[in-house]
Amino acid sequence: MEINRLPKVLLIFLSLFLLQEALISQINFLVAGFSLYLAFFMAWIIQDQRNSAVVTGFIAGLILDLSPTLEAPFGLWTLVLTSMSYLLASNVRAALDAELSPLVMLSVAVIASSFALILFLLFGAILGQEVGSASYVIRSISGNALWSALLSPLYIPLAMKLYKVTLTARQR
Amino acid sequence: MATRGSNRSRLLWISLLVTSLFIITLDLRGVSLLSSLRSGTQSVLAPVERLANNLFSPVGDFFSEVSNLGRSKAKIEKLEEENQELKSQVIFNENTLAQLESLKGVLDLAGKARYKTVSARVISKGATGTFSETIVLDIGSDSGVRRDMTVIAAGGLVGVVKSTTASSSIVLLMNDPSFRIGVRVAGKQDMGILLGQGDKSYSLQMLSATSAISVGDVLLARGSSGDKPFVPGVPVGRISYVENTVGQLTKEGRVNGFVDLNSLSVVSVVLSAVAGDPGDALVPQAPRPAPTVTVFVTPSPTPKE
Repeated sequence: MEINRLPKVLLIFLSLFLLQEALISQINFLVAGFSLYLAFFMAWIIQDQRNSAVVTGFIAGLILDLSPTLEAPFGLWTLVLTSMSYLLASNVRAALDAELSPLVMLSVAVIASSFALILFLLFGAILGQEVGSASYVIRSISGNALWSALLSPLYIPLAMKLYKVTLTARQR
Repeated sequence: MATRGSNRSRLLWISLLVTSLFIITLDLRGVSLLSSLRSGTQSVLAPVERLANNLFSPVGDFFSEVSNLGRSKAKIEKLEEENQELKSQVIFNENTLAQLESLKGVLDLAGKARYKTVSARVISKGATGTFSETIVLDIGSDSGVRRDMTVIAAGGLVGVVKSTTASSSIVLLMNDPSFRIGVRVAGKQDMGILLGQGDKSYSLQMLSATSAISVGDVLLARGSSGDKPFVPGVPVGRISYVENTVGQLTKEGRVNGFVDLNSLSVVSVVLSAVAGDPGDALVPQAPRPAPTVTVFVTPSPTPKE
């Protein structure tokens, strides 16, 4: 990642974190909850180059780890999002067309954020975190997937636009 | 070239993974810098959450501004404005009444047990999609709230204070998967442990195989040493199912909580239990059946011809 992109990326993810913690958390979703931060992150990473995706994953994970309501150890989301960003940028992105359609981005955002939640649970369980009942886990993951799909017209165009804003003239 | 590029990104990925594992290790070893980072974030977030709560709580206020956009006729505009104002007033009144009702309930409960409490408004829920069940209160250490204090609502136990800043505190709800509380069956001395499961029902593990528990039994908090994290006697829930499996070492069951954790608006933090253990005094009264009116009809004698 070019060093002059870093402040913009940091600012975007910090603002999104604030939005997630202060506003999205106030909404009582019908089925489980919705993590705008995760869905936006996946839609962002799928557009990114491998190196910058990994750095963005690390930064986004560190920001998410700041959440004061988290019970998991600090660094767990950093581990999960760094792994996810590498997986998406190196394996998934290579299998897709150069021009990403909204449908592809929607599928990636929904599947990848569900997979990130499963990874978070698995790593958490390995580190001794309580997981909760199976019904709770299934409801949380499927609820997040449902809302990620339903609200995709809002965050996917935003992720595409903001991603372009952070690119340098040479990268565009 | 491509191989060199992919090797470089793999190296970068591995070094960042090692860094995150290093951070996790530091946190698990209790390095205070990382926990103070989280409490610092809470100090920054609390005013924003309070503002967001004020905006979202009376939803009518927000939408009334939007619904008037683009209207041409002044009269319609004025009438709609009045209408919206009245509607938001009604919603605001209902909201305040509901909060007043919950406050009255929780003060009644605290008064019966002679708990010294401080009341608080719920300004935010924990981050969604992170598998932790928490709420954020609008009071903190400035109001005497400290870590590991019991939080109650009108129905009974809500959770325990996890961390505080000067003006806000985070409460771990009793349905969080990491939540554990020692309970006893009201009217008996049988003890067990209640475990949060993430949803509305809880898992109960009795400490003895001979415990005589049955559906409908009320569970109360057993209490902790020094009343932290739990003061004794707080109603926790009612047993909804008892598992009767042959060969089990201890009895197990399912419990329904007394408090609906999804609709909390006002709660109280117990600062101290003045009168010690209230015993079974806080057991919720079973609803009284409405009296049935019985009418006896005596047939009147038929007139003889």
